[in-house]
Amino acid sequence: MRFFVQLTNGQKKEMFRKKQPFRYRPPSPTIGDAADAAHPKWKLGVIQLKKKSLATVLSILLAAVTLTACGNGNGNGNSNTSASPSAAPTDAAAATQAAGGEKAELTYAIWDSNQEKGIRTIADEFESQNPDIKVNIEVTGWSDYWTMLEAGATGGSLPDVFWMHSNEIYRYANNGMLLDLTDRIGKSEDVKLENYPEGLNQIYNLGGKQYAVPKDFDTIGLWYNKTLFDQAGVKYPDESWTWDDLHSAAKALTKDGVYGFLAPMHNQEGYYNFVYQNGGTIITADKKSGYDDPKTIEALDYYVSFVRDGLSPEVYGDAERADLLKNGKAAMGLFGSWNLSGFTENEFMAKNFDVAVLPKKAAQASIYNGLGNAVDAKTKHPEEAWKFVEYLSSKTGQERQAELGVAISAYKGAADKWVDSNKTFNIKAFVDMVSYGVIRPYSNTTAVWEDKAYEALKPAFSGKVSVEEAARNAAKVMNESLAEEK
Amino acid sequence: MNHTVKRKIGAKTWNEWSWGWFLIAPTMIGLIVLNFIPIIQTAYLSFFKSGDFGRGNIYIGWENYRKLIHDPQVWHAVGNTLLYTLLVVPVSIAIAMLVAVLLNGKLAGRSLYRTIYFIPMVAAPAAVTMVWRWMYNQHYGLINHGLSKLGLPAVNWTTDPQVAMLSIAVIGIWSVIGYNMVLLLAGLQEIPKDFYEASDIDGASRVRQFFVITLPLVSPTLFFVVVTTIIQAMQVFDVIYMMIDVSNPAYDHTVSLVYLFYNNSFKYSNKGYGSAVVMVLLALIMIITFFQMRAQKKWVNYM
Repeated sequence: MRFFVQLTNGQKKEMFRKKQPFRYRPPSPTIGDAADAAHPKWKLGVIQLKKKSLATVLSILLAAVTLTACGNGNGNGNSNTSASPSAAPTDAAAATQAAGGEKAELTYAIWDSNQEKGIRTIADEFESQNPDIKVNIEVTGWSDYWTMLEAGATGGSLPDVFWMHSNEIYRYANNGMLLDLTDRIGKSEDVKLENYPEGLNQIYNLGGKQYAVPKDFDTIGLWYNKTLFDQAGVKYPDESWTWDDLHSAAKALTKDGVYGFLAPMHNQEGYYNFVYQNGGTIITADKKSGYDDPKTIEALDYYVSFVRDGLSPEVYGDAERADLLKNGKAAMGLFGSWNLSGFTENEFMAKNFDVAVLPKKAAQASIYNGLGNAVDAKTKHPEEAWKFVEYLSSKTGQERQAELGVAISAYKGAADKWVDSNKTFNIKAFVDMVSYGVIRPYSNTTAVWEDKAYEALKPAFSGKVSVEEAARNAAKVMNESLAEEK
Repeated sequence: MNHTVKRKIGAKTWNEWSWGWFLIAPTMIGLIVLNFIPIIQTAYLSFFKSGDFGRGNIYIGWENYRKLIHDPQVWHAVGNTLLYTLLVVPVSIAIAMLVAVLLNGKLAGRSLYRTIYFIPMVAAPAAVTMVWRWMYNQHYGLINHGLSKLGLPAVNWTTDPQVAMLSIAVIGIWSVIGYNMVLLLAGLQEIPKDFYEASDIDGASRVRQFFVITLPLVSPTLFFVVVTTIIQAMQVFDVIYMMIDVSNPAYDHTVSLVYLFYNNSFKYSNKGYGSAVVMVLLALIMIITFFQMRAQKKWVNYM
């Protein structure tokens, strides 16, 4: 019997973990010891009952029971369970604080395990300067991170300090989940907003209030396989490259089962860059879709032409994309700076690849974005939490982050130290692109219209409809979605 | 009932009752807290435009349902969910039945086979899907590699809208066979050996024995297996979630109701609409299960 109970769980999503059909199977019809099962009275328990009405009720029951796997995610049940890991340390910390007035324990939630080690080092240095504060770092993968945070926000148990993203800042700041840092920044010696890129400050500024301090930034680079370039006798990409250079290089490199370029169905590491290089836009200043802008359509058409002309495979998944590069099946691809540690660890990539700035058309452009460190509005240790954020955002903290190769620090000048942290690739390209970087397009409900646009653009990638038609559809659904925005 | 109450209830009866309630209490509490309350909440929430973080829900009546009827994706999802169920349930149960019958006979290394068949059930679906994704990989997956060795063209297992659902169904079938097999096997072991001995004497063939003795006598277990497999199949989510992104061209042909619910509730933070989507699934499962209960007298044979 135990055997089964263990086996039915293990579903990927937490809300599904309760899916156990056994719960309502009273007299086990099957397993168990032979004597018990052989008893003539077992007959699938309740189901065999003769009364019609009862059978009906039971059928509803059976259906209902199994359904809760889905339904539960809506209620508070799910929220509480997923929030508990983050809540526990905080509560424990509060308890110790109250009892002995000793150490304040902070929870710092992040989503990138590649950065954990470096951040731990910085946190240790912070702890040694502030012996009365202890920092616990909690890593949760990107998509689970937001589920966790949402649950924490709903249940009132957010981590003390956590990463924020342009896609989500609006909801959190607008609902009072984040501590307003404006006054603290104003009084701080170490944190001055003019030291961070203005575009990043703006992401985390709502109605004149600053809700997070920029931690780092990322840009998109053109990764290329040097060996394949040498074999084909093509010059390596550099800052002089135009769209035509990219296209002709892709053409020369496409042979023997190798694709010259990767033009995946991806926005940030794909067509967004080309749209802005062409002077187009994804979202206008007055929050309308830019997909029907002729310049945007032109850029999309150029991008899709790689797939149409057979210079790029039709590729959709994130993992598949990188694998094509890592297996020498594609000579060039657009990938963000956050892939750096993964690419450095891959022997094939380290040996054969390098990175350059993106090519240009009307202008140079690379999509850039940056995380911010935010503080829970209801944290039990606002002062300590701010102290930690202040340290992370200070010149020292930011330079340490760069030196350790954790991420490209947002602090003015600190990025140069990051360039020295990796000798394998020419990562200076990522920093060079900041001067003409375009902030990843966002609004209050980015996640919704990004997916709608994907759905509308897909048929153009597989060649089912023209790029223009797909782009116009994308503009339509995106505008509908934006209209519903508060 | 009234009749019973009027009479004086003896201490023994009370004792029996309290024991009875005590023994079913864990299940009852679990059902109520984990199942009934959330169902009611979900139904309730489906009439609201949900605010962020569970606050500021606005009552909008049937608006979510009205929107749902005009949402082509919901209809895709209903179709996909039913198609998946139709693909997985008959095939997986047929194979499970076959394997169970074979393993019920005298066979060397029987318990080893049972374990092997059960392993897919033990593995975490997410991990299983990752492995399958590798095998399905368009460029260097095991399956396409094998096809190319045979001189056949490569198939886009996960991105071709015509094929992706089949690829997913194969994983679903493969995962559930072991579980159904063990249930059916236990059902088979209930069947008294005398029937087979008697029919042997009468000269019945193995095939005839299967249809005349095995199938009718295992039907209660089979019924249970059919009902639960259908319900489980209707709730398909993790495999599709792991394999098919919104940007995948096969998305419209594979998205299931639960996936749609997940996207709306968690990705787009529209829990009200997500709840409405999942109520459709509840209704579907209820209807199907109801008809199965009605049909059971026609074919289920309780000894």
